[in-house]
Order: sequence, then structure tokens, then C-alpha cells
Amino acid sequence: MTSTHTQAHASAAARKAAANRVNAKPGRKVFVRILRCDGPGQPSRWETFSVTIERGANVISCLQQIAANPITSDGTRSTPVVWDSGCLEEVCGACTMVINGKVRQSCSCLIDDHAPTEGDTITLEPMSKFPVVRDLWVDRSRLFHNLKRVKAWVPIDGTYALGPGPSESAESQEQRYVMSTCMSCGCCLEACPQFNVEPDPAAWDTAFVGAHALNQARLFNQHETGRRMKGERLDALMGTGGVNDCGNAQNCVKVCPKLIPLTESIAVIGRATTIHAFARWFSGK
Amino acid sequence: MASISPLERHAFLLRRLHSLTGIAPIGLFLVSHLLTNSSIVWGLMDSRKAVHGHGGVATFQHEVDFIHSIPFLLIIEVFGLWLPIAFHAALGVYYARSGKANTARYAYQSNWRYRLQRISGYVGILFIFYHVATLRWGWTFLVPGGATWSGEAAASTMALALQGAETGITGAGLAVSIAYMLGVSLLVFHFANGLWTAAITWGVTVSAPAQRRWGFVCAGIGAGMMLMAWSAVIGFATLDVKEARGTEQSLQTGHTPGPQIAETLPQLMPAAASGGH
Ligand code: SF4
Ligand code: SF4
Ligand code: FES
Repeated sequence: MTSTHTQAHASAAARKAAANRVNAKPGRKVFVRILRCDGPGQPSRWETFSVTIERGANVISCLQQIAANPITSDGTRSTPVVWDSGCLEEVCGACTMVINGKVRQSCSCLIDDHAPTEGDTITLEPMSKFPVVRDLWVDRSRLFHNLKRVKAWVPIDGTYALGPGPSESAESQEQRYVMSTCMSCGCCLEACPQFNVEPDPAAWDTAFVGAHALNQARLFNQHETGRRMKGERLDALMGTGGVNDCGNAQNCVKVCPKLIPLTESIAVIGRATTIHAFARWFSGK
Repeated sequence: MASISPLERHAFLLRRLHSLTGIAPIGLFLVSHLLTNSSIVWGLMDSRKAVHGHGGVATFQHEVDFIHSIPFLLIIEVFGLWLPIAFHAALGVYYARSGKANTARYAYQSNWRYRLQRISGYVGILFIFYHVATLRWGWTFLVPGGATWSGEAAASTMALALQGAETGITGAGLAVSIAYMLGVSLLVFHFANGLWTAAITWGVTVSAPAQRRWGFVCAGIGAGMMLMAWSAVIGFATLDVKEARGTEQSLQTGHTPGPQIAETLPQLMPAAASGGH
């Protein structure tokens, strides 16, 4: 019952990838074209490396080969490419980058799917909505800052034990489970036309929060204890940069690797803010 | 926190008013306006109107006369239409500037609609301005052939403003007619797509299937309005100005609706007259 769009999109891409995988020959050479940058504020440049592909190679294993032998395809010695990664199984979100023009995790990106033939090129760029630390490594601080804006947690801190929390229905657990699988990867922000570069952290509080934060607000608003802060979350999301800044392009839901029904979460927050606004108008201060 | 602008303090109210004004009054007006203007085509089906010549011209004149009979029309126009449109347009431009289209990389249909919603907004503002300035405020220097629209000869002067000359469509007239076609089509899209996104904004459609279903409804509404819009533009762009003028004159002279229609009705509509039950 999650987004049918997401599944349709995923299966179309998956079919092409599966077809490529059948034809791919191990031992072929593939070009890896990388948008490099030496550090914050430094200019970017393209560098291409030639890599021998083993069976099951992914983008990270290619980057490891390049790091071991950083010589570009025209024979110039360069420096090892820097990237970020953690789990290597698509659950931490750290390795997110733009591959062949689309944002996704690099650890789960198989070369066979995208460059099945000798001499094919695969293009890697850092995400464009976050400041580059170096090469493919970006600083996602704003993503985490925006989770703070919507108080994406359960309020249990205090000076005495609160006792066991209220129990949650199986149905709600099931609904919330998929929302909770968000790994803060930033794909939904990279693909969103309403979430754009904001170099000044002072402006983060009024710039668009993004689909991930709207989804987390829904996750915690529906949590039996988390809902105690529902009003505060909705107040934050009614302001500038809140839910109304979403332009319904619905790219977020199509690129989310966890198939989280983000556009549904956005509409749930839209409905909650509508009700919250009327409630405040008639019975609030 | 530093000083907050009124735009930020009332962010939610303004966003929702922006959404609301798009539906009512602006969207509702658009529907009724297209209904009126497409009467140049659907009026042909009203045989009672055909006694004066061109049924579309007569029906359109009838509709225009009705609108002009509404009391306090100017006040309704200013507060019910022009101000809401100005508000919707000004805020719309302000909001649209916060986005950066990325259809080149993410060529999803919904992303294209996002982009087209903004383009149609910008073009729509220019089109509405031209439309109102030339036909309502009489800026005839912008009209090919310099025609002035008149409520007394509604169809013939409208046709003139689109065609550029009495003798048929001129080059400049063709350009204006094509611009009209484009303008109204984009505005109809803007309304239909806006109706779809408004349901998400307000939280009416929540699940993906619900959004899809409502999408089909909005597409249907849009298709119906597109049909009206195109009939209106094509109807006026191809109307015979002289014939239209004849019909309008016949309406002004010796026009007493009741008995005349009763007399002509049986001859014009034999089926209706004989097959009564
Ligand atoms: S639906 Fe909203 S949050 Fe998602 S990509 Fe579009 S504008 Fe961004
Ligand atoms: S919602 Fe999806 S795309 Fe966005 S950060 Fe979470 S896992 Fe990534
Ligand atoms: S390394 Fe964790 S998602 Fe790729």
C-alpha cells in the first residue's frame, strides 16, 4: 500500500538493470568519470579513471581501486578520490551521490547494471544541495538540523521515571515501520526542486525543511508518546520553510531508496496543519 | 531571532489564501467565463436563438447582457476578481522564485507538471494582463486593427479583436489568436493542476491511490475546460464578422422574446413540438 508510483518506477529501472547484468562481461574496462573538488570553496574539475571490472563490482569497489592507483585514463598521476561510506549495505545513507545524473547510494550501485559494455562510462558527482567537503563527500549537517526543527524524537527526558509508555496498535506499528526506515541519506532533498543550496546556516530555519523531515514529523506525531509534541511540530511546519513550501513535484517519493511514501506523509502533515490552524483559530490563544 | 517580516509571520495564512483564491473566486470565475465565451459554439445548438441569424452570436450576446445587468458590477469585478488575481499572482511569483526546476535530471511527469505550473503562472499573468487591458480597459493600440470591444456588439467586436480585420483573419490577427489559444490552454492547465495540488496542500487527498483518483478527476475537469476554451477561441477567430453584426442588429431591433419564440418554435423544432408528452 505504499506509493504505486515508486514501485512502477523502481521496476522499470530494475528491468533495464537486470537486462544489463546478463550481458555484462567480467574483466572489461570501464571509465569512471568523477567530478572532483579539493575542498570547500575550491573549483571543481572532471577526472576520468579506467577501471577493470570484476564480477559484482559496485561504485565503492571501483573507488577503492582508484584510491589504490590514482592514475587518470590519460596517464596523469592524481590523488585518491575521497568519498563517504559506512554500512556498505544501503542502510546508513553516508555514501549517497549522483550517479549518471540520478541520486542514489553508491554502495548498492552495481557497475554491471549501468556500464555493461567494454568502454562504457559511469559518471559520479557529489550531491549538489549540500556543501562539498572533498570530492564525493558532502556535509549533510543541514539535513540533521532540519530534523531538530521538527523535533523528530520522543520526549522522555526528565528527572524521574515515567513508567511504561502507552501501547501501540499493530496497524499503527505497521504504518510507522516504513517511515522509520529513513536513513537520512538526502536523496529526497537532492531531487527536490524546492530544496536548494543554502550556504548560510542562519537561513536554514526559514528554508524548506524537506521531505525527510516532514516524514519524520508524521512518524513522531503518530507515536503514542511522541504525539505530545505534535502541536510544536505543526507550529514549526506552518511557518516559512514548512510543509507549504513543498511544490508537489513528487520527485522525493520516486528517489527514496527506502520506498517511504513521502508524498503521503506530506499530505498527512498538510491535513494536520489545516486542522491545527482551525483549532488554534477557534479555541487557541 | 531577528525581525520577522509580515510575510513570514502570516506564512501559513498567506499560503492557504493563495491556494484558496486560486479555486474561489478565480477558478470558479474561469469556469463561468469559459462557459460564457464558448457559447459562441454551443449557442449554435439553441435553435430559438437562431431566429436572429447566428445562434452562437445571439447566445453570447444574451450571456453578456445578463452579466452587464448584474448590479454593482465594477465593485464585484474589482474586489471579487482583480484584487484576488493580483494577490494570487504576486504571491505566486514570490513563491515560485524559491524553486529550481530540475526536469532535465528527474523527468518524471509530476516534476514536469510542477515546472509547467510555474511557467503557466508567469505566462498566465502576461496573458490576463493583455486580455483585460485590450478588451476591458480599451488599450486598442495593442489590438491588431485597433478594434474596441463593445458589450452591445459582443461577438462581432470580439471576433474583430482576434482576427484583425473585417475581411477575415490577418497575419497579426493570427498571431493574437494563437497567443490566445496558448494563454487559455496554459491557464486551464494551471487551474486543473492547481486543483490537484490543492487537495494535497489542504490534506484532502492523502494516500497515493487517493491522489491518483483525484488526478483523474482533475484531468477530466481540465479536459472539459480545455474543450470550452478552444471552442471559444476558434469560434471567435473563425466567426464571420459581418454575419455576426447582422445578428446583433436583429437582436437590437424588433426583439421581443416571448411570443416570437413561441411562434417560431414549432417550425424550428418539429420533433420537440410533436413528440411532447
Ligand atoms: S513533493 Fe515536495 S518535498 Fe517532494 S520533491 Fe516535490 S517539492 Fe520536494
Ligand atoms: S526519506 Fe528516503 S530519500 Fe529521504 S533521507 Fe530518508 S531514506 Fe533518504
Ligand atoms: S555505505 Fe551505508 S548506504 Fe552505502
